[in-house]
Amino acid sequence: MNNSEDRAQSPEHRTQSTEHRIKTEEHITQSHALIRCDGIWKIYNEGKPNEVRALSEVSLSVERGKFVAIHGPSGSGKTTFISIIGSLERPSRGTITIDGKNIAGFSDAALSSLRRRRIGFVFQDYNLIPGLCAWENVSVPLIPEGIAKKQRKERAAGLLKTFGLDGRAEHPPEEMSGGERQRVAIARALVNGPDILILDEPTSNIDKESVSGLTDILNSLKAEGRTIIVSTHQETLSGNADVVYELTKGRITGHKDYNGPNL
Amino acid sequence: MIHLNIFYAAAGNIARHNLKSMIVVLCLSAILVPFISALSISEGTKKQSMISVEQGADIYLTMDMYGRNGMIPAALSGEIEKIDGVTEAVPRVIGRIYVEGRLAVLLGLPEKRFASAAGFIDGPPPVRDGIVIGKGLAESLGLRTGSDLSIGVRIFAILEHVPYIQKKVYTVSGIFDAESSIWTSSLILMDIEEAIAMFEMEGFVSDIAVYVQPGHTQQVVESIQKMNSFFRVQTKGTAMTYMERGFNTKNGVFASLYTLAFAVAIPLVLMLSGFGLSERRKEVGILKATGWHTHEVLEMVFYENLVLSLIAASFSYVLSFIWVRLLNGAFISRIFIPGIESMSSFPVPAEFSGMQLFLSFFVSLVLTMSGSIYPAWRTAVIPPAEAVR
Repeated sequence: MNNSEDRAQSPEHRTQSTEHRIKTEEHITQSHALIRCDGIWKIYNEGKPNEVRALSEVSLSVERGKFVAIHGPSGSGKTTFISIIGSLERPSRGTITIDGKNIAGFSDAALSSLRRRRIGFVFQDYNLIPGLCAWENVSVPLIPEGIAKKQRKERAAGLLKTFGLDGRAEHPPEEMSGGERQRVAIARALVNGPDILILDEPTSNIDKESVSGLTDILNSLKAEGRTIIVSTHQETLSGNADVVYELTKGRITGHKDYNGPNL
Repeated sequence: MIHLNIFYAAAGNIARHNLKSMIVVLCLSAILVPFISALSISEGTKKQSMISVEQGADIYLTMDMYGRNGMIPAALSGEIEKIDGVTEAVPRVIGRIYVEGRLAVLLGLPEKRFASAAGFIDGPPPVRDGIVIGKGLAESLGLRTGSDLSIGVRIFAILEHVPYIQKKVYTVSGIFDAESSIWTSSLILMDIEEAIAMFEMEGFVSDIAVYVQPGHTQQVVESIQKMNSFFRVQTKGTAMTYMERGFNTKNGVFASLYTLAFAVAIPLVLMLSGFGLSERRKEVGILKATGWHTHEVLEMVFYENLVLSLIAASFSYVLSFIWVRLLNGAFISRIFIPGIESMSSFPVPAEFSGMQLFLSFFVSLVLTMSGSIYPAWRTAVIPPAEAVR
């Protein structure tokens, strides 16, 4: 047994995490969870001197159509956690189920299919492809779908128009503001029609005006029935969420459900 | 449609990373241009040599001397001519000579043979002290009919153990032209008696060229071998086989050197194609994050390599054509044509074909695929969150 496992199963940790898991599981069983994380660990360089424990036994559930915020300070493991929920990373231990299927055991191909059909992910720094104009960036997920260029462009332009970027479709990201880039990234995440939208720190690189615009976009997407998960260290977005999970040093330390019981 | 979409995306990537694409094409061309040029010169030289053999005699006869071709008595040509099926037996003297400090080939033939070769001779058959020289040689030395030319022969007097160069001045009595640029640039024709005297081989000749009736070659060979077991008989077929084998060996050596060059080039292409760079790694991570499958990423990389290879092969083919045709294969032609200068004075024979274009495309594709597919696969299978980090 290595160091991390020793620490993971030390009596003190075990007591804390077990109490926490019981509370969370009580809540999960009361709901119809779309996404359910159970005892998620993420340990980088496990067993090595530079081992980093990013997440420790994190459990939560997300109901369909809800707006969930993962709130916590910088370095609390928010990005790692939502990357795992977004199937961009695998947990070291634990299970994560979407519609009852444990995606932690999915193959690379199955995860790609899941991302293509069900999950739209917006990175903190947007990760748009330089040199491609806005509509081309938005339509990147449609390329392997076999959709013709004309249709791709139409669909991308439609989304850009929805987000107030109809005049910017031919501009590359390098010529856009932070807020505009973010909206392009959201459009790209939505272009395949996913039911789950995940945004990593969406307010960190935009001004107050853009934050307000983003809130409107997220509210309208929620109204469409999409499940939205946002990681943030600011209260601005958390205030609009149905459920807020507090993440501190890789552990869930609090939970507020504005539509249900608070733990 | 999926594949077409991915292909267009790959073509778009090449245009988007135009500087990088250009560098990859240039690197590939640096490898491919000498490759295509060498192949074309090799093919051209081989073709001309084969034509020479094809148009030559059916059988070449020499004496076995220390296991090699040795001189043969000139008088034997009369006896060979009497063999059933033989139409003509021509004694020949062949040797390397020096003219104006450069190597040339001297061919001594009986006067009657000049008559049959007169179709390509401009001027009368050579008389005593006269020579007929190739058009290319005449142009490079500034000679015309009536000019004098000093010819030197290396002689080794066996008994005295003394090597020396014997020189004599001849008059150009005629100039010949032929299909083969190699011959017109290096061949000098001379009366056989004069050639025998020049090489100090009184009573002997280098070989006897035997012409036979169609279908009689084997029968004549057997008759000659019965006459004397010391005869070395080489038919047109065996001459062609040896020649082909020689060219193939040269090509083989050249190909081996190129394999080594490719081994060096692969890491270069790997470095330049950008899959080791964070920019490309991030791009692959974004594609995976947006739902692309690993095999779709690899398909796109394959198409990128396909397009780059096509561009590189076509570009290299054009550059090779310029190098060989306009620059006359400077520096590279001497690998395949022995005894010529770096800047050849005659048109270097070359044959360009679709096969060379295909070969260079194939080599480019192997090179770019080796340099990029594995790094691309490695990038594509790591978690997207890690790739974009």
